[in-house]
Amino acid sequence: MANSLRLYLTCIRNTLEAAMCLQNFPCQEVERHNKPEVELKTSPELLLNPVLICRNEAEKCLIETSINSLRISLKVKQADELENILTKKFLRFLSMRAEAFQVLRRKPVQGYDISFLITNYHCEEMQKQKLIDFIVQFMEDIDKEISELKLSVNTRGRLVATEFLKQFI
Amino acid sequence: MACFERASPALKEILLKIHGAERPMEVDHHLHEFGSVHYHVQCSASDPVYTYISISTPLLSRGLPLSSELPKHTLEMVKNICPNVMETMEPLKEGFQLTLKLNLSRIPHSKASTKTITDISSVQAVILSSQLKEILKNVDSHEISRGIYKPIKLVYHPREPFFVIKQPTKIAAIFPMRFKEPEDVIIATAFLQELMDVGSSKACAKAPHCTWSPIPPPELRGEPIEDLSTNCGFVSFDIMSRHVKGKKLDKTVWNLLNFYAFVKYHVKSTRGFIQRRMRMRLDRLVQPLKNVEIEEDQPMKTTAKGCTPMSKWISASKSKIAERKHEFTKKIKRLRSRIKIHGFGRFRRRWLKIPRFSPVTRYMKLE
Repeated sequence: MANSLRLYLTCIRNTLEAAMCLQNFPCQEVERHNKPEVELKTSPELLLNPVLICRNEAEKCLIETSINSLRISLKVKQADELENILTKKFLRFLSMRAEAFQVLRRKPVQGYDISFLITNYHCEEMQKQKLIDFIVQFMEDIDKEISELKLSVNTRGRLVATEFLKQFI
Repeated sequence: MACFERASPALKEILLKIHGAERPMEVDHHLHEFGSVHYHVQCSASDPVYTYISISTPLLSRGLPLSSELPKHTLEMVKNICPNVMETMEPLKEGFQLTLKLNLSRIPHSKASTKTITDISSVQAVILSSQLKEILKNVDSHEISRGIYKPIKLVYHPREPFFVIKQPTKIAAIFPMRFKEPEDVIIATAFLQELMDVGSSKACAKAPHCTWSPIPPPELRGEPIEDLSTNCGFVSFDIMSRHVKGKKLDKTVWNLLNFYAFVKYHVKSTRGFIQRRMRMRLDRLVQPLKNVEIEEDQPMKTTAKGCTPMSKWISASKSKIAERKHEFTKKIKRLRSRIKIHGFGRFRRRWLKIPRFSPVTRYMKLE
């Protein structure tokens, strides 16, 4: 793993560890309702300052915290047009299957590629440390997968091109 | 749109069926291929000797409106496919450009029959490629001598025209590439760049030199703007004389005609490949999250890992546990069973009798 990536991921991990202290908190606006405050943003006293962690212009992570929920938004690097469409395709594919991930948001926050929403209920059901591990692992895997996909598409193209030109010989 | 295989698979299957049938068959099939090629195959039981095939296909034109009749040189080439089995019919059937009369009984029932029928099924490919061959042969040599290399626009699909420019040492085939979806444009661009790289490598040194550029090449200067506006650039192949010599001419012409179809097929299959890959990856990405829950629900499973017999005991099925329990209790019973010694009972009653004491907690009734 590149050194800068390790630092970036460690920073995200530490921030998540600090931010993931969620508790049950009923909605102050609607009686007998329990909603993620980070989404509603109706009571500013229940929100913490959002943390933006940037590796570079194209790669960043926004962590928004509230008393009962946490929202993590990721922007994945896209070096060229092919990476751009592969990232969009893959993250859209995952977002459409958000129910499989439980903590994945169906629509990313504007300006980001993918978002997670973790509520206090998730923290009660799952181990906090493992949830953080999952987020960090997910970030690593997405980067790796997109690089591999790009490589495979190019390799495939090269093989097909060779086969086509061989027909003339 | 052309097909990679010269022979039409559906037409080939029908002809093989008719040829292999023991009794005369009644056949009246209309086949449509690639949305623009139309075959009508007819064979009647009353006239079992002859089979009729009518074909309607888009012709390769020089940018002019499509003509309804086949040129003479094309008809000659069609006749030469299998002269002893098929002949062209006059007048043509209405709505078709060519009607063939086949005498399949002349084809012997052997392995060679499949090859003959395959050749007959590739009639559409012959029509298409014969025209390009003829165009390349009959380019005005007067223009070349004057140094004017005018591009010839060839259209066999309205959305996919391409240009052929004959120059003294080579023939340049230029394909303006257009795609509907922006995603396709990117995949195709990546492929065309790879094609250019491979073309300039040593392994494909004998193949036609291939170049890709996002802007129109200088040879197309003066062409109408609608032909030069593309979203995926221009691919040009430099066909040298060695690529059109003898048998290679046929191959080269077919490859050029199929180039659009080839790129489109690659784009389509790449999209499928990406989708398959993403589907496979989804399971692996979800797996860590599943483990989080499982470990939360069953924390005892990991603690039993240390002691092997105990973990075996836990991991066994219910029926096995019951069986083991039964065996275990049987063993215990056997261990605790009394050893019988003759006369020992009497001895114990006499000498080893424990005197009975009244319990302390017992109260005596006071009188």
